[in-house]
Amino acid sequence: MSDATSTFSYQRPVGLTFGVLIVVLYVFLMAPLVMIIGASFTESLMIEFPPKGLSMQWYVEFFNRQDLVDGLLMSLRIGAITAIVTTAVAVMAAMAGQVISGRLSGWFQLGMTLPLLVPELLTAVGLLFFLYKIELGRTVIGLQMGHILMSFPYAYVSIAAALRQVPGSLEEASASLGATGWQTFRLVILPLIMPGLAMGAIFAFINSFDLYTISLLLKPLGGNTLPLALFDFLTYEFKPTAAAAATLSILLSIGGVALVQKLVGLQRAF
Amino acid sequence: MATVEVRDLRKRYQDFLALDGVSLRAETGQLVTLLGPSGCGKSTTLRCLAGFLEPNGGDILVEGESILSTPANRRGFGVVFQNYALFPHMTVAENIGYGLKLQKLPKGEIETRVYDVMKLVRLDGLGDRLPREISGGQQQRVALARALVLKPRLLLLDEPLANLDARLRDEVRWLIRDLQQQSGITAFYVTHDQSEAMAMSDMVAVMKAGRVAQFATPREIYQKPVERYVADFTGEANFLSCDEVAVTGEGRYSIAVAGTTLDLGGVAGITSDTPVELLLRPEALRLTSVDEATFRGTVTKSAFLGAALHCEITLPGGGVLKLSAEPNANVRTGDEVGIAIDHSHAWLMPEVAP
Repeated sequence: MSDATSTFSYQRPVGLTFGVLIVVLYVFLMAPLVMIIGASFTESLMIEFPPKGLSMQWYVEFFNRQDLVDGLLMSLRIGAITAIVTTAVAVMAAMAGQVISGRLSGWFQLGMTLPLLVPELLTAVGLLFFLYKIELGRTVIGLQMGHILMSFPYAYVSIAAALRQVPGSLEEASASLGATGWQTFRLVILPLIMPGLAMGAIFAFINSFDLYTISLLLKPLGGNTLPLALFDFLTYEFKPTAAAAATLSILLSIGGVALVQKLVGLQRAF
Repeated sequence: MATVEVRDLRKRYQDFLALDGVSLRAETGQLVTLLGPSGCGKSTTLRCLAGFLEPNGGDILVEGESILSTPANRRGFGVVFQNYALFPHMTVAENIGYGLKLQKLPKGEIETRVYDVMKLVRLDGLGDRLPREISGGQQQRVALARALVLKPRLLLLDEPLANLDARLRDEVRWLIRDLQQQSGITAFYVTHDQSEAMAMSDMVAVMKAGRVAQFATPREIYQKPVERYVADFTGEANFLSCDEVAVTGEGRYSIAVAGTTLDLGGVAGITSDTPVELLLRPEALRLTSVDEATFRGTVTKSAFLGAALHCEITLPGGGVLKLSAEPNANVRTGDEVGIAIDHSHAWLMPEVAP
């Protein structure tokens, strides 16, 4: 009897602490989202929480502000191109990474994730010099290149992980049945890494949508991404329009995750 | 349908010699088994045949023509893998029809051929299932069907039964052998299981450290091994060291062993100074009364196995003989018994082939 009691009295505090920790963690993660989404529906002229009343006026205001809408469109376009280009390059890089063996393989992995390890500001400054050298300084193409560089590791990690799950014998089986390398890729490998690929593309998109420092340094004259436009906006006005913009961004991210879930299932993506 | 000749095949990894001059030959319609422990080079040989590995030396000839410069996808060989290697995102029917689809055959023909081969391997009605929804035995039959539906010139099987449980293993083994014989396809079969090798093969190559230790029929491998390694790997075996060897004819010897003299056959070329061993398979030995016996010894172990009584008998010289006695034989540990040997099943061989 006393044994059983001691077992339970040992386990319960651990379970409880763990539970409390989880709750605290979630509150910590969710609180800013709840605040900002709540504040976007306020009737008052200031960003405040809890919101006063309920209104959609700040969303209307957001879509009436040409600078913010331009920023949103720019961010969407750059994000989409970033997602497509990084995914295509990351698939090739991940496949090359599989062929490389031994000590070189570790260095290759490290190289592919380098943009994550170097401070964004340093990359941005270096890239700015480089882009001016090749006469792409402060152009949309230069900005696009910066976004691709910064988002590449996310796509790479996700796709390389998916590729590692595909046993080599499948490629051999496909070859023995008469498939060329390209046919094997299209009919066997691509369908199998699709979840990781979709996840990588969405990560790359969300990351690009979120980039600030590198955009600030590389942005073309007269062109702003949404984060830059919002920051400019907040410098002069502290209106809930910003909260509405943030809420739209959150919806976009949730939409992306929902899309993955719908396409391939989150279980398979991780 | 093809004769296949492997000539002096060599494969080296950085500091490891995987194949050190492997030579084999398969006649049309034969099933040749590569038998050996892991790391002996049997899978490497198969992978060179399939075109997944490029050998460093030697040649592979099919119908007299070298295929080394032909890539795997144009060799027209069927390969069956140990882990089945089915495409997990395709149904059973799609897996089997994969190769036909690549050949751009009309849809109707693909369907008919897939249907026919599924019937052949008894997979009827499972066409719409995914690989993960069927059993291991069924998965391996899908893999077999996927290879056979293309009517390959050569079938390569890499331990196809290793992941199956004992009951399924038997079933799939006979299926493979039946299909191979019906279709007359030349086949190479890799395994580490000697009973599989014995039961299925026309020829067996016992491999040892990147070389072929012996290439012969299952009967010859079992009854007339060229060295102890081969005898050991192909079934239960008793070995006795011999005191004196005299050559009495071509492959005939007279030996002194455990206090008696025997006349028997052996590997040709043994001389009186070759280190030799006497091979006695358990079925060559019979318990008998002490006065009729070739050997006398003491029972040191006896275990009732149902169909037989397993005995271990220690000879005065220290050698131990294992044999299967009749289940109701009255043998107990410590008994003094006699053992008669069947001379036609005794075999003299060198410890290590020259």
